[in-house]
Amino acid sequence: MTGDTQQADFLVGRSCRRVDGVEKVTGDIRYGADLFPAQADLHARVVRSEHAHADIVGIDASEALNVKGVCGVYTHADIRGTNLHGLIRRDHRVLCDSRVRYRGDAIALVVGESEEAAERGRDLVHVKYSPLDVIATMDEAMADGAVEIHPGGNVMGDKRIRKGDVEKALAEAHVVVSDTFNTQTVDHAFLDLEAGTGHWDGQTLTLRAAGQWVHEERRLIALALGMPLEQVRVIQPPTGGAFGGREDISIQIYLGLAALQHPGKTVGLRYSREESMRARHKRHALRINFTLAADKEGTLTAARVIVHSDEGAYASTGIAVMRKASSHATGPYKIPNVDVDVYGVHTNNNPTGAMRGFGAAQMAISYEGMMDRLADALEMDRMELRLRNLVRPGDQVTTGQRLNDATAVECLEAVLNRYRDYPQATSETLPPNLRRGCGVSVICFGLGYGDGFPDASRARVHLEPDGTFTVYTGGVEMGQGLLNTMSQIAGHELGQPLERMKIIAADTMLTDESGSSSATRQTYFTGNAVRTAASELNEKIKDVAGEQLEVHPHEITVRAAWAVETNKPENRVSLSDVYDHGLKRGYDMIGRGIFKPRTIPEISDSGQSPRAFITYLFGAHLSQVLVDIETGEIRVERHIAAHDVGKAVNPQSVEGQICGGVAQGIGMALMEEVVYDKGRITNPSFTDYIIPTIKDVPTIEPIIVERDDPGGPFGAHGVGEPPLIGAVPAVLSAIYDATGVPVDRLPVTPERMWRLLNEAGAGSIRE
Amino acid sequence: MSADANKMLIKCKVNGQSVSCEIPVECTLLTFLREYLSLTGTKGACLEGECGSCTVLVNGKQVNSCLMLAGQVQGCEVLTVEGLADSDGRLDVLQERFLDAGAAQCGYCTPGLLMSARAFLKDNPKAGREELLTALEGNICRCTGYASIVEAVEKALAEVRT
Amino acid sequence: MFVQPPNLAEALRMRGELGPDAVVVNGGTDVVVLLNRRQLRLKTIIDISRVAELQQIEKQSDGTLIIGAGVTYARLAELPLRAFREAALSVGGPSIRNMGTIGGNIVSASPAADGAVAALSLDAEVELSRAHCEPRWMPLTDFFVSYRKTKLQEDELLTRLRISGGSTSRWYKIGKRRAVNISVICGAVSRREGQYGIALGCVGPMPVAFPSVSQMLAGRDLVPELISEAADAVAREVNPISDHRASADYRRGMSRVVVKRLLTELSSEMAEDL
Repeated sequence: MTGDTQQADFLVGRSCRRVDGVEKVTGDIRYGADLFPAQADLHARVVRSEHAHADIVGIDASEALNVKGVCGVYTHADIRGTNLHGLIRRDHRVLCDSRVRYRGDAIALVVGESEEAAERGRDLVHVKYSPLDVIATMDEAMADGAVEIHPGGNVMGDKRIRKGDVEKALAEAHVVVSDTFNTQTVDHAFLDLEAGTGHWDGQTLTLRAAGQWVHEERRLIALALGMPLEQVRVIQPPTGGAFGGREDISIQIYLGLAALQHPGKTVGLRYSREESMRARHKRHALRINFTLAADKEGTLTAARVIVHSDEGAYASTGIAVMRKASSHATGPYKIPNVDVDVYGVHTNNNPTGAMRGFGAAQMAISYEGMMDRLADALEMDRMELRLRNLVRPGDQVTTGQRLNDATAVECLEAVLNRYRDYPQATSETLPPNLRRGCGVSVICFGLGYGDGFPDASRARVHLEPDGTFTVYTGGVEMGQGLLNTMSQIAGHELGQPLERMKIIAADTMLTDESGSSSATRQTYFTGNAVRTAASELNEKIKDVAGEQLEVHPHEITVRAAWAVETNKPENRVSLSDVYDHGLKRGYDMIGRGIFKPRTIPEISDSGQSPRAFITYLFGAHLSQVLVDIETGEIRVERHIAAHDVGKAVNPQSVEGQICGGVAQGIGMALMEEVVYDKGRITNPSFTDYIIPTIKDVPTIEPIIVERDDPGGPFGAHGVGEPPLIGAVPAVLSAIYDATGVPVDRLPVTPERMWRLLNEAGAGSIRE
Repeated sequence: MSADANKMLIKCKVNGQSVSCEIPVECTLLTFLREYLSLTGTKGACLEGECGSCTVLVNGKQVNSCLMLAGQVQGCEVLTVEGLADSDGRLDVLQERFLDAGAAQCGYCTPGLLMSARAFLKDNPKAGREELLTALEGNICRCTGYASIVEAVEKALAEVRT
Repeated sequence: MFVQPPNLAEALRMRGELGPDAVVVNGGTDVVVLLNRRQLRLKTIIDISRVAELQQIEKQSDGTLIIGAGVTYARLAELPLRAFREAALSVGGPSIRNMGTIGGNIVSASPAADGAVAALSLDAEVELSRAHCEPRWMPLTDFFVSYRKTKLQEDELLTRLRISGGSTSRWYKIGKRRAVNISVICGAVSRREGQYGIALGCVGPMPVAFPSVSQMLAGRDLVPELISEAADAVAREVNPISDHRASADYRRGMSRVVVKRLLTELSSEMAEDL
């Protein structure tokens, strides 16, 4: 019985099991790498640069072509389109023609009958280089006479905020504190390595590979390869994590090129962990110089923030990351006078782009770090300083946007209450080498792309002939739970149990564009579109059923498999009959929704906008750590995280996002770092790129704060990025509290902690 | 022995079924399962024994199938995630509790975690939280922060005990 | 070719006959990583994981332990030797510990070989065997030659370890996380009949013992001043490198901390752990 006579469930707010759960626990689900070799006739491999910066003098494929089983070697000369991709600036060549700008730039594509043949061929493509100076750091890039990585100089852009009179406020301040923070390069380290297939049948180029925005990928592939848009179809296979790491195009475009060269054949391509790490963009490493001032009472008066962002070799989403960094430079604090300057600097490191937190994560490390330093300088309690300065309803954030709702204080109180009301045994006397400390963070996050970008989501909900429903959305599921969120929203609107809802997502042929699964935007944007679509379909069903039952449509309720007369439920008609009747009467029995809210671009001189973002999210964390002051080892003992999600469509899934974000935050705070040696990544493996294990993460305590967002579906807004953003500064704050030594460089490995303690000197370490 | 010196004949039991297959001598157990038997539930994510996505049980013990040569399971019994549910498709207690707790998010680590948890449940039905964490310490999850996974395995453990 | 000798005699014969290109595999946790990275091709494989003799643990009447080279970390973790137990438990996760063996760990001669460091501190001896010959025994300290180089001959197998009974021992490891942790530095100390053993990993090209410091401590009570003196002596003697895991400075500093901590634990420990 698929909910045939079952009472309708109210799906929003319920922790339903995942709709893709069973196939995930049985192993039946097929991710990209599970599609072949069974389904691949040919295999592709990418020849990548062995130099971080060089001119290409020649490409000799003759030896590779002689390898048994190699069917083709392709270079830029074989590409009919622009050969360019890039989400904001099209500055990245699919296959480099004359210059390589990082070790990992693609130069040629080898196609073979087996993976082994393709790999042997790849290793025998001889590229002749004329090496150029390698720009390894931002300082080298900005030095006089530095070689230009792209024409026009190595500073690829800047972003600023000017508000009030910072100079004057600093001069008049009671206390001014300054520090410089260095955040590291981070890898997304999703488990499901890039893998997929491509096929060209002369009509349609079909690409099955995981991205985060299938429609944009289709556009980029079509442009780069010179294909009409309508002949390219991108299908997202089930995806094992993304975290921003699938936003820039990766294997899709090579699969497209290989498939076009071999019509009728299915071509497979997959990366090893090493290739995945060498090829892919990373989280921006930022150098943040922060000056913060307050009056005698601890009211913030001014902030001056200068940020340099290592953009690596190509623009990727760097411009947008810079903007998110500038608009989030002072977080959830009211400050009347603010100057922010963000400079993006090209180097010959990997391109840097989207990763969970998108610039806002790095800034939170600095503004929360500065709040702790300021509290110490003022000899003031850290909570009191925060409570005095947090934005409250009606206040403006740094971009000048006035917030009707601001739940920063509620979130902070939620974690403090939790800590107080559920104490954990910590009374034990510590051995002399250990210090325990507690830290908090409060963060805010502007949801969506904002800044006037025409951000939109579309959705359809179909009534099927058998009376069940199918949701169609272009949004990408990558583990975060989008399939459930959308199914539950539509099902709730239509009075359905989850079993009667099907969902098809992220197939450019079947679904309408819904923007990227990023910027914490899918629940809000696509959720609204789905709700609208479901609501429209609901009205259609009522119209048809009203006619069939001879009552006013307003007197009809859709409940599971039936449309019933609300006050006389025995008078009913099955939805499959409604479908048949509707079609006869000329209805298509499809609901459509589009959500396209307006944001207002920031003024370029001042960074001010009354509506830079559609809505703001708040969160607060409390972390408790133990630091070994002799070895520098740090253990997170406890971590509480409260996030205002508007309304939790699926509370369990929200908690999963919170806990997962915290774990990644602990990784960023304590261990994760991509290490370069003159542009070469020295740790491109999971042996050396260290990720938190189950022993590194305490039992995280998530708290869901629900304050209906008037613009969100059922009051929901989103949760994807904020948990990571809040986690890192809370851990750092706890370390500062434990040791008395502030942290300014990430990650805080045992060695870095030991160095900080040594530099501070024994006298500075807390007793 | 195979005619081709670089190949060998492997005979073993996988998920209760006898299999016999000619494979290259340097084929890993992971490749054997995925590419020769099409059992793609077992994942490879690091191929260095650091992430546990490839965990299977050989003669009841958890191993990293990416680091074991297929030849080494000659005559052994191998259990993969596909062998957890019974032949009618009824899910095992761990699978059910993973679904209840939302312990599979992206799901890529899930098969490996289920196998590690399975070995743990079998060998240590009396174990506490710390032993549980040790049993799962070789399995990286990038999505959940582990809270839901611990919840799922603890609940399954409680059920197995009663 | 993939051969799977069922007993030691066969294994030694194959090792002798199949020549230097044949690769010996037991747990595979080192070799297969190289294979997966395409840094190694395997044409002839001698899988010694079925050799029963290599998996035996024998306790002799005088308390001496004879440990087969094929004993896994999981089984080492059950031995009544605390340094060994904790070192074994600090390696990889449970799967790695079910696969990797003490023999493989020692033969790898990696400076970060946790099991080898624990064995060194316990003054272990190793047995090297060759077909049709008497096996030869040598102290583990002599076995390591330089970075990833040992005295194992091409036609030999490392077959057993011998550790005298009656030791009390301790282990400590610093890494970047709390599980599946590669040593940034690790160390072990032991005490047996007034003699002390000290060994560290990741402070030189191979696991190292400190016989001169052991000599200095011999027969003496571990009072705090002596412990500090020993820790300083070790820190002077080490010759660590800087790499992406840690700097030489840190490793040198930690060699002092680790030795001091371990000796202090040993000094305050009343109970024997064997």
